[in-house]
Amino acid sequence: MLGGMKTSLRSFAYLASALVTGALGFGLLLAGWLATGLLAVTPLSVPVLVGFRWGVGALATLEARLARLAGVDPGPQKLTSGGAGYWGRGKAVLADRSFWRQHGVVLARTFVGSPIAVGAISLVGSALWFVFLPIYYPWVDFHIGSFEVDTLGKALLGIPFGVAGTIVALALVHWTARGWARIALPYLGPPRGPAKSFFVPHAALVAVTDVVVLIVWASVGGPFWPKWVLAATTLTISLHAWLLRAPSALARVAGVAVFLEAFQIALWVFGGGGYFWPIWTAIGFAAAVAVAVVVLRRGRLEHRIEVLATTRAGAVDVQETELRRIERDLHDGAQARLVALGMNLGLAEQKLAGDPEAARDLVAEARAGVEQALRELRDLARGVHPPVLTDRGLGAAVASLAHASAVPVVVEEDVPERPPAVVETAAYFVVAEAMANAAKHAKATQITVRIARDADRLVVEVTDDGRGGADLAGSGLVGLRRRVEALDGTLAVTSPSGGGTVLRAELPCES
Amino acid sequence: MRVVIAEDLALLRDGLTRLLRDNGFEVVDAVDNADALVHAARAEKPDIAIVDVRLPPSFRDEGIRAALELRATVPETAILVVSQYVEQEYATELLASGEGGVGYLLKDRIMHVDDFVDAVRRVAAGGTALDPEVVAQLFSRRGPLEGLSPREREVLGLMAEGRSNAAIGSMLYLSVGAVEKHIASIFTKLGLRQTAEDHRRVLAVLTFLQSEG
Repeated sequence: MLGGMKTSLRSFAYLASALVTGALGFGLLLAGWLATGLLAVTPLSVPVLVGFRWGVGALATLEARLARLAGVDPGPQKLTSGGAGYWGRGKAVLADRSFWRQHGVVLARTFVGSPIAVGAISLVGSALWFVFLPIYYPWVDFHIGSFEVDTLGKALLGIPFGVAGTIVALALVHWTARGWARIALPYLGPPRGPAKSFFVPHAALVAVTDVVVLIVWASVGGPFWPKWVLAATTLTISLHAWLLRAPSALARVAGVAVFLEAFQIALWVFGGGGYFWPIWTAIGFAAAVAVAVVVLRRGRLEHRIEVLATTRAGAVDVQETELRRIERDLHDGAQARLVALGMNLGLAEQKLAGDPEAARDLVAEARAGVEQALRELRDLARGVHPPVLTDRGLGAAVASLAHASAVPVVVEEDVPERPPAVVETAAYFVVAEAMANAAKHAKATQITVRIARDADRLVVEVTDDGRGGADLAGSGLVGLRRRVEALDGTLAVTSPSGGGTVLRAELPCES
Repeated sequence: MRVVIAEDLALLRDGLTRLLRDNGFEVVDAVDNADALVHAARAEKPDIAIVDVRLPPSFRDEGIRAALELRATVPETAILVVSQYVEQEYATELLASGEGGVGYLLKDRIMHVDDFVDAVRRVAAGGTALDPEVVAQLFSRRGPLEGLSPREREVLGLMAEGRSNAAIGSMLYLSVGAVEKHIASIFTKLGLRQTAEDHRRVLAVLTFLQSEG
């Protein structure tokens, strides 16, 4: 009950904070875009844009910290975008996906979060107003219909209403914060992987539109005007197909340019030829692609250096901690047992002639010691790298975890090709840690593990229906995050109190 | 009784050879890789092959693969897999044929020489020997076993390890009649038909466990 109260109050603090951060965010975005827009073509626009990007990043960092109140840890936020050269820095800001994603959250907190904050505050406030009515009833003129609150007795009647109202209000606040955490906060985390494809509905829409247009034309007659609709719908669907299949960001940009240019040429052909005006758009597109080449190359390198620098420290830390743990386990476990074993055997050797009965006992004791040492070494080896992972790969190792789990586990695995060993190991420990947490801390009754691989990454997602509220700063999750980030991966934890936990790791694995 | 050993570590290979010879076995060949094992087993047709899981060249599950191959090609040779760790998955695969003459033990168990020698004889004679750790892994799962009483679970575990009814009785301080009653009750609860042979019942239970996995 008290715990529920505490999480509700934390949720309330989170929702109410939108009034401050929402206002800040709105001011920042307005000022930033006005300044950038006004200075657009002058060299001054670059420092303004870089400063603006830093501001948005700082605000997103603040939002990410506040999100912990609602039980979500979206992970560290990007503040800068890199880019080489004077103009490169400005371009890198505009090409930075996290910049735009952070925009999304800041805008949502301003335009949706602030009204919610006002609602939450007035709801809780009016409930509390009833609770304290006996203190100030003589000075306020309060009546419900003809029921005038003018005596202490009548004012005291308000207390139960107020208490019940407060509980209901805090519960509402709690559920609202949970919903918010589910919907809005993922935008502070890494981009969602294998996105739902809208390609099939899109293609169906195109087909239906084309057929309808053709039927209309067939019944009305006249010149073949549906050609315009057909060209436009074909363009949208081919663009969509290309964006789904394109191997890289650059290919996407180039593909879009080529398709749009092809559309212009089609327009020129349908329009009856004449002066070849699409040449000008072609030149424009070529220039845009050239700019994209420069921006994407430079941005990628700079970003890479930045990420490498921050994750290297974490990786070294993880390794250091792990080595120290192994050393300690060996020292206190197997090594100590072998020493005791040696002593027992030495003693047994002494007693062999004089007291064979005692010698036999000592040998039996020594054997028990060996067995214990073997068990400990086996557990240690499994903790460093589970044998079945080496032998059979991630799918078998996760199946083995699922078998041994006390909580029912559903495993959905789609990994046609084995990822590199380091990636498999990291993915395994993500699943192992998440399953252990779900069983031990979250008291879950169902765990779902999804493992999917696409061309260049492995996505691992462990969902449970437990009580959430995972300790985001706990050593388990911090170690896991470092392990994942050391491989250039990302780890996102969503664990609102009472709302289950989702642990999602994305690990790049170029084959 | 004729034995072939496949173990890549010379120290363990020689130790095991000595241990078996001292206990009256005839070690006809001791090899250090899976191909040599398959070759030796085909040539010698031993009563039993004792196989390590991790063997050259890749040190993964070569031993299990070789064991499965031998099951299919030289069925008269029983297989006892010994390893530093046990994995329920491997036990399932080894037992999948539904026939006896299969064992899977931790190397730790070799230290209890009498028990180990017993297990080798039992497997060679067409019985089974499952490591208690595998049995424990099976029991840690939910599912059909939840309906069993604690005593019945104990009995089932010892059956899976390959113990005879008499051995189970003496370990649990029960009469053989009481053990038989428990076993009959286990079969009823698991919906299995009782058959005559000891290992068949164990295999039936394990097969059932896999199918529910």
